[in-house]
Amino acid sequence: MVKVTRNVSLALVAMAIGVLALWLTNRAVTPKEATWEDAAREAKTGGYRLFTVEALRAPYEEGSTDLLLVDTRQEWEYRTGHIKGALNFPMEPTWLSRWRKRSSLAKLLGPDKDHLVVFY
Amino acid sequence: MAVKLGYTKVYRYPTGYPEWHAKGLPVDSAPAGLAEMASEPKEPGPLYGWAMIWTLLGIFVGGIALNLTPCIYPLIPITVSYFGGRSGLDQGKLLIHGACYVGGLSLTNSVLGIVAALTGALMGAILQNPVVLGVVAAILVFFATSLFGFWELRLPSGLMQAASKSYAGYFGTLFMGLTLGVVAAPCIGPFVLGLLAWVASMGSPWLGFVIFFTLSLGLSLPLFFLAIFSGQLEKLPRSGEWMLWVRKLMGWVLVGMATYFIRPVLPKSLGVFLFAVIAISAGLHLGWIDRTKPPFKAFQWIRRVVGLAGLVMAFIVIGSWLIRGPGVSWQTYSDELLIEARRLKKPVIIDFYADWCSPCLKLDKATFHDPEIVKQAGQDFIMIKVNLTRGGNPVYERLLRKYGIKGVPTIVFLDNQGKELPALRLVDFVPPNEFLTRMATAEKGPDTGL
Repeated sequence: MVKVTRNVSLALVAMAIGVLALWLTNRAVTPKEATWEDAAREAKTGGYRLFTVEALRAPYEEGSTDLLLVDTRQEWEYRTGHIKGALNFPMEPTWLSRWRKRSSLAKLLGPDKDHLVVFY
Repeated sequence: MAVKLGYTKVYRYPTGYPEWHAKGLPVDSAPAGLAEMASEPKEPGPLYGWAMIWTLLGIFVGGIALNLTPCIYPLIPITVSYFGGRSGLDQGKLLIHGACYVGGLSLTNSVLGIVAALTGALMGAILQNPVVLGVVAAILVFFATSLFGFWELRLPSGLMQAASKSYAGYFGTLFMGLTLGVVAAPCIGPFVLGLLAWVASMGSPWLGFVIFFTLSLGLSLPLFFLAIFSGQLEKLPRSGEWMLWVRKLMGWVLVGMATYFIRPVLPKSLGVFLFAVIAISAGLHLGWIDRTKPPFKAFQWIRRVVGLAGLVMAFIVIGSWLIRGPGVSWQTYSDELLIEARRLKKPVIIDFYADWCSPCLKLDKATFHDPEIVKQAGQDFIMIKVNLTRGGNPVYERLLRKYGIKGVPTIVFLDNQGKELPALRLVDFVPPNEFLTRMATAEKGPDTGL
């Protein structure tokens, strides 16, 4: 009797693990539409500031050489269309990607620490 | 991150490209520049002196690294089984036996490598041939039955007698290694295609041999230690009982590998089914049916866990097959379809494939089931599949000539005028991201002058 109960509970554990693994590998991930408030909160923790399209327009249309636009989307997204003059620097929002690309980002941004850097 | 690097004026423009584009502000696109993705051909040059030594050392290390791929798995149980049966050898002899074994393995692999280099891509096609895959799978199952204890692995006695008496053992081991090289080859082949091209470009069979021999030596280095170790195992007192169980476990691993090799040949659902059945039987056999006496208490638990792992694996395989998302919807080829595409001004992607080719299956599984690709393919492309599993279709034969198709997989991209974009053509598996890049380029096709 004890043996039967143990086998049944083992089978249940197996089922649970299986279902969990299936769910983890196959669930549909729908990214939440980020609002301006979300972005503002992230910016606060990250220590950077935000630009609206109106605010960005001024330095952009001035044609200032001080401005550096960085497109952090995937390469294929950049290829299909990007803000004119922006550079592509594909980044995934994970710590691994940040850590790996640290030095190449420094190279991309250049030695001048005071110029205007805008990511999107 | 830029903040941490010390930049003072860091901004983010969260609404990004879509808003910018919608407001009609200046945008740009850069579909050209695929050149950077194509790898530059390596400079073929003579190798001698230190350059040679460093190159070989690098290749040796590369061979060791190849052990992280499943190439060597099928050989592990066979090695254990073969050397495990050779008890009563002293340390020195065992070392020589291990060396013979590894040497034989490397020899077969390098000969295959050279043949591949000399015949070009043909060899790759042979290694994916259903018959070869079937033979490899059969060999694996054959050895698995030995591990299950149905028979004892020994060399044919005729061979033993053919060689002179004192060297019989060594010769036998070498022969064993020579034969088993065939098992590892189909797996190693695809991994060393780049190396093959390089060897072919140098045009020196001798150099090619040295390179492949070094690579195989690195590859089978762990086997060498395994050989020595498993020869000793039998000498350990009272280790035998539970080692039998481990041998059965390895037998199941072999059967699993055999399924893996044979799967491209089978219809898709049958492959999944077979794999699940094997996982279930392995789990039940190892976890419950097998009655090896437990030598220590934890063994009972290990056994149950391994059994459960088998069952869970079967469950996951079947489950993920059942609930997999939709793939790209393909159309079969017809001339009218191409005319229609030109009328709609849609680019076309033609996938030449065959059921038995494993990169094709991988493409289908990973790339053509990627949600973003499925979406874009449905909206902006005409997707055509040409199934070359069975030859003899005159329409397809004409297509093969028209596009100069040399093997499968080949994926041809046509721009919206129906002209091929040769720079985009694919002849191997690519991950979804790179495929999307090519799709984006194909959409812009005519403007780029590709």
